[in-house]
Amino acid sequence: MQALLRRELGALWQSPWQLALASWLPLVSMLALWWLFSAALPRQLPVAWVDLDNSSISRELGRHVAASPVASPSSFGNVNDAVAAMNRAEVYALVVVPAGFSRELMTGAEPTVDVRYNGQFLLVGKLLAANLQLAIADAMKPLAYTKQLASGASPHQAKVNMAPIRTQTTALFNRNNNYVGFLVPPVLIALWQLVAMLVFANALNRELAEPTATPLLKRFAAKFVFYLPLLLAQGLFIHALLFGFLALPLAGSVLWLVPAMVAMLLAVFLMVAFIFLLMQEAARVVSFCTALFAPAFAFMGVTFPVHDMPEAAQYWRLLMPSSHYIDSHIALVSYGVSGAELLVKLLSFAPFLLLLVPIYLLAAKGLRAQDLAQTGNTEHAL
Amino acid sequence: MSLLRLILRELKAIVSDKAIAVTLFGGVLFYAVLYPLPYLHQVPTEQALVVVDLDNTSLSRTLIRHADASPKIQVAAAAGSVGEAKAMIASGKFHGLLVIPSGFKRDLLLGKGATLSYGGDASYFLVYSALVEGLVSAGMDAAKSVQLLGLLSRGESFSGAALKLNPMHLNAVPAYNPSLGYIPYVVPGLFLLILHQTLLIGTGILGAGQWGRASADGGSDYWRQLSPLKLLCGRALAFALIYLMFGSFYLGWCYHWYGVTVQSSLMDMALFALPFLLSTLFAGIAVSTLFVRRDMPTQVMLLASMPVLFVSGFVWPLSLIPEPLVMVSKVIPAVPAIFGMLKLNQLGAGFSAVHTEWLLLWGLSLLYFVLAYIGLKWRLSRFTD
Repeated sequence: MQALLRRELGALWQSPWQLALASWLPLVSMLALWWLFSAALPRQLPVAWVDLDNSSISRELGRHVAASPVASPSSFGNVNDAVAAMNRAEVYALVVVPAGFSRELMTGAEPTVDVRYNGQFLLVGKLLAANLQLAIADAMKPLAYTKQLASGASPHQAKVNMAPIRTQTTALFNRNNNYVGFLVPPVLIALWQLVAMLVFANALNRELAEPTATPLLKRFAAKFVFYLPLLLAQGLFIHALLFGFLALPLAGSVLWLVPAMVAMLLAVFLMVAFIFLLMQEAARVVSFCTALFAPAFAFMGVTFPVHDMPEAAQYWRLLMPSSHYIDSHIALVSYGVSGAELLVKLLSFAPFLLLLVPIYLLAAKGLRAQDLAQTGNTEHAL
Repeated sequence: MSLLRLILRELKAIVSDKAIAVTLFGGVLFYAVLYPLPYLHQVPTEQALVVVDLDNTSLSRTLIRHADASPKIQVAAAAGSVGEAKAMIASGKFHGLLVIPSGFKRDLLLGKGATLSYGGDASYFLVYSALVEGLVSAGMDAAKSVQLLGLLSRGESFSGAALKLNPMHLNAVPAYNPSLGYIPYVVPGLFLLILHQTLLIGTGILGAGQWGRASADGGSDYWRQLSPLKLLCGRALAFALIYLMFGSFYLGWCYHWYGVTVQSSLMDMALFALPFLLSTLFAGIAVSTLFVRRDMPTQVMLLASMPVLFVSGFVWPLSLIPEPLVMVSKVIPAVPAIFGMLKLNQLGAGFSAVHTEWLLLWGLSLLYFVLAYIGLKWRLSRFTD
């Protein structure tokens, strides 16, 4: 075994690309992806503000919208300009205060304020819609309050009349709706899975170039044992970045996730090894694994909930080790389940062990004799 | 060799290489089905809600029925206390809770006001927003009926009371994607990215295989006697033929199938897609001269996919992405192309709105043409010596 591990180490040193994949490259990509989302809370999104009324009330409304942390209104003289800006995606929403707004309000004619938000940019659009409505409803409150007082209600009674039912909304497990806490963990885990897949594929592909007498399964085992700590370190780096450096809320201890990480890496390895034995050609192995693993992020069920996916998608999801892992991850990070429960969750990885059977059978047949023209060019890396 | 024969040779080389075939034909067809698959139901509905009803009156039950009637919420269980509800949410089967305080109805009738508590699992933002939207509208309904009762009881006429409740009408409507569906949000950009990445991988594998094989066995190949310019044109045209087909399939048939809006005219779309296709072709050929191992281009492009997806500005708003990242990302043809196509097709902005992106894509085409020429010249010169 030691000799086999030493062979892997030698192979790793000789291949700059594999060395990069196993060490610095994923770390740089992870930091870059975090940097991309580092704004964390969408703020100051451009909004077109069209005030056709120009009264003290409409300006008051405008000030309320400007005070919202999410919206940053810029004034437009007419609706057409504002619509054009919205079509060019320069603003994400558009508010129109109609002419005669103030007069209609005073005479009790119920004027209409129009808000259009960009549903194409779903994330920003929804956020702006909620915040604009909140800001405008808030601006109307003093007005309704004065009206109540004028009609003879006591100040306390007027307040209650305006909103008899108050509500208190709590975002559980992610108090301030932080996008870093929501989006970055699954993105990084998806990236980590891709890196693990590539590292394993490259390691296995080397067997095509240098045949040895050692049994294939032993060499496979050595590869897994050799790369496991390196990849595990990357996984731990993700968690150190998120929960150590960024101090995202964490309900349990990260170390309980280590068994799930190992299980995920093992599942990825088994899938890659199976595909490798079927294809036995470097570029084809990588291409096929890529095709299989690239969409894993969409199937994790964080951005779009699993129970709203069609059944076919839910089955495909089970094929991806990362979706099993993210379930454990969220259970620990958000819900703070106990370590024992997490270990029970590991059972969901068990079906991947079934791959051992075809791997054993295929490995017994050994590798096909290689066509040198296809694989002869091995070590020029890049 | 005539250009036509060269194109045929290139096509033959592309089709007969299994790794390229897996990526190009397999990948493009497979992804057209697989990527939109999780989002087919478009919007999350009927989120499981736990109700903690500490009041147990006719009004609290009406409120629960109102919440259940919302398409976004399904009242799935009742819990006796908040702690119990929390444990149920942690089990992962339920995603939100509604707490109705004891004395809810009495306080309202006494005119003291009451507070409802909503909670949603914000580990999943779509679930959370669906829950909160549903609960807020159910709560507002209940509040309005209570308000109306109160006003009527104090002798207001019905019409006057109804007016006072809404001093103004707020008409908030989503534009461009009126159903707020997930497929129109993700698919337009994603499909362009798939075309872009597979094209880069295809040209990469073909090139890397040729430079690598030649250095290994020194055999003769059709492409070796050609001038760099001719090889560049022949290869670009061969891939262009294939990608005209794929592009029409994605932007035409798939957009239609998934109900993605196409607001631009065919001419505008073709006019905009042309520099995108050219710049990606030349970028692919230029990048291919850097590789000699056939398994490398896929790996590099795969790792680049996710950053390119997020930096192109249709998932996460461009104004929130750090400026240096946005500047650097402009050299990737997919980035201006996705944003431009979005403006053309989804926002219906007209061609004048995408001028900058269009010119940028032409600039990139020129840049990558020069780089591809230099790269090919360098690769070919190593065999002519």
